Amino acid sequence: MDNRGIQADNGVRSRRVGITTTVPVEVIYAAGCIPVDLNNVFITDPDPGGLVEEAELAGYPRNVCAWIKGLYSTVLRHQDIRTLVAVTQGDCSNTHALMETLELIGVEVIPFAYPFDRDRDLLALQIEKLIDRFGVDWVAVNRARERLDQIRRKVWEIDRLTWQENLVSGWDNHLFQVNCSDFKGNPDAFEQEVDDFLARLAGAQPRREKIRLAYIGVPPIMDDLYDYLEERGARVVYNETQRQFTLPFETEDLVERYRLYSYPYGIFYRLEDITREVERRKVHGVIHYAQSFCFRQIEDLIVRQRLKLPILTLEGDKPNRLDARTRMRLDAFIEMLQ
Amino acid sequence: MYCGIDLGSRNVKIALMDEKGRLEFFKFDTIAFYREHGCLEEGRLAVDLSALLPAGTKPRTVVSTGYGRQTVALKGARVIPEIKAHVLGAVHLTGLSDFTLLDLGGQDSKVALVRDGRLMDFQTNDKCAASTGRYLENMAAVLNISLDELSRHHQNPVDLTSTCAIFGETELIGKVVEGHPISSLAAGVNYTIFKRIRPMLLRLFSDTLVFTGGVAQNAALREILARELGVRVVVPEHPQYTGAVGCCVEAKMGSEK
Repeated sequence: MDNRGIQADNGVRSRRVGITTTVPVEVIYAAGCIPVDLNNVFITDPDPGGLVEEAELAGYPRNVCAWIKGLYSTVLRHQDIRTLVAVTQGDCSNTHALMETLELIGVEVIPFAYPFDRDRDLLALQIEKLIDRFGVDWVAVNRARERLDQIRRKVWEIDRLTWQENLVSGWDNHLFQVNCSDFKGNPDAFEQEVDDFLARLAGAQPRREKIRLAYIGVPPIMDDLYDYLEERGARVVYNETQRQFTLPFETEDLVERYRLYSYPYGIFYRLEDITREVERRKVHGVIHYAQSFCFRQIEDLIVRQRLKLPILTLEGDKPNRLDARTRMRLDAFIEMLQ
Repeated sequence: MYCGIDLGSRNVKIALMDEKGRLEFFKFDTIAFYREHGCLEEGRLAVDLSALLPAGTKPRTVVSTGYGRQTVALKGARVIPEIKAHVLGAVHLTGLSDFTLLDLGGQDSKVALVRDGRLMDFQTNDKCAASTGRYLENMAAVLNISLDELSRHHQNPVDLTSTCAIFGETELIGKVVEGHPISSLAAGVNYTIFKRIRPMLLRLFSDTLVFTGGVAQNAALREILARELGVRVVVPEHPQYTGAVGCCVEAKMGSEK
């Protein structure tokens, strides 16, 4: 699926389409557009902290999630992204103000809502509206899905090799899965990366970390967490949300796919997936990550009541290094699990 | 002789333990300690212990912990996590094995659940130092009283609601203007600390609370904890050295293995 050179002639303003979290990217690819997960662009910027500051200078409050601020500045910086699919339900309400502040500067915003109760009809309607907006049809969308599923299956294998064969680091597990939100805007090139990685794993020695961890919650805003844990003998063998980004469900029904997908729905549905996976993967402890100022910090109390495993709640604010307090808390948690 | 060093945000605490378990304590201002006694060698902080400790002190093993351990790797010392050090120290100093540990230091608060002498679960304050020693120091300064005086009062507290320690100062000044007596103002400050740590204490509850860290010297807070939670509050003799003692215990156990 090589989209290079194809113009967006279907009515949307730019060919590169920003997304605020995982949405049915099949629709965007089917339209010959390139999805860009703004989170990934923000966090891989050479100076993500600078992007957060830029949004604060523009007037974003200090006590608001850094991801939202980073996303805002990322769109400002990338003039080629003039169209945005924003998740208005199923992610966070800060997105509403993000949409409004971007509309203010002329960005075209297409809302997408995951129904809170996972209602199939409502979800189907949302996807159909997206299909209309991008001027495509179900045939093209399903063709895109089949292509993307080929890649997803390979990434599922990376995940399996992580927990079942112990061949993959927590960071690599995170990175390949998290990139399935937009396939880095170039599925062919991304698939090649996945293939190369899998080829390198053939014949590799199993890793030796004794402690197996689950990481639940949104992906971390700091990128040194996994290495820090592994230097201390603990490895993440389950990245909850990142894995969900790969839509790890064996169904060809696109609507059902995004209905099984757990991240945008309530904590109780997410906990079904978490409970199943922590058991299957035999983890010793759980890291529950929540972003500073995020409503998900409240849900920590539910997670703590429902999961019968030691839990460390981590709070991340600014990108992209672990601070001294967090390192101290990680040390104590690993020590406790030994 | 074993040496335990707790690199705190306010003070560096050193404990020496001899083969019979007898303890000696030394305390240094953190900034002065790093400035005057430390120098960087290959990315690690080298400290000339002989200049700091009594002549002839030659520890077999040095174990260190503390906030500083994240930014400073002490040369020649084995480093253990802070919470582990505090639990080991509290178990050693009190002889208890089932309790909730509350450690209130210069910039952080920790609560740990200990069963059979082992750490089972813990919580710490996150990204905010409004329930720590530094807060008490600031508030005593605002009231123009000593920390000793501040820690005498727990009756008729004024209600302080600010979530931020710095805005809390402004709120306290407002209460001064309203004409409340010093005793009520001081009690209000002490109660604020309690309100901050209560959720952590309830989540990791035990009938016995071992209270350590510099703030454990605050008698009013000990009284408030016992009264409000209905628990027995145990404070070791030198509460601010608990982490350093824990390091000595770890050093001794390590050399006996």
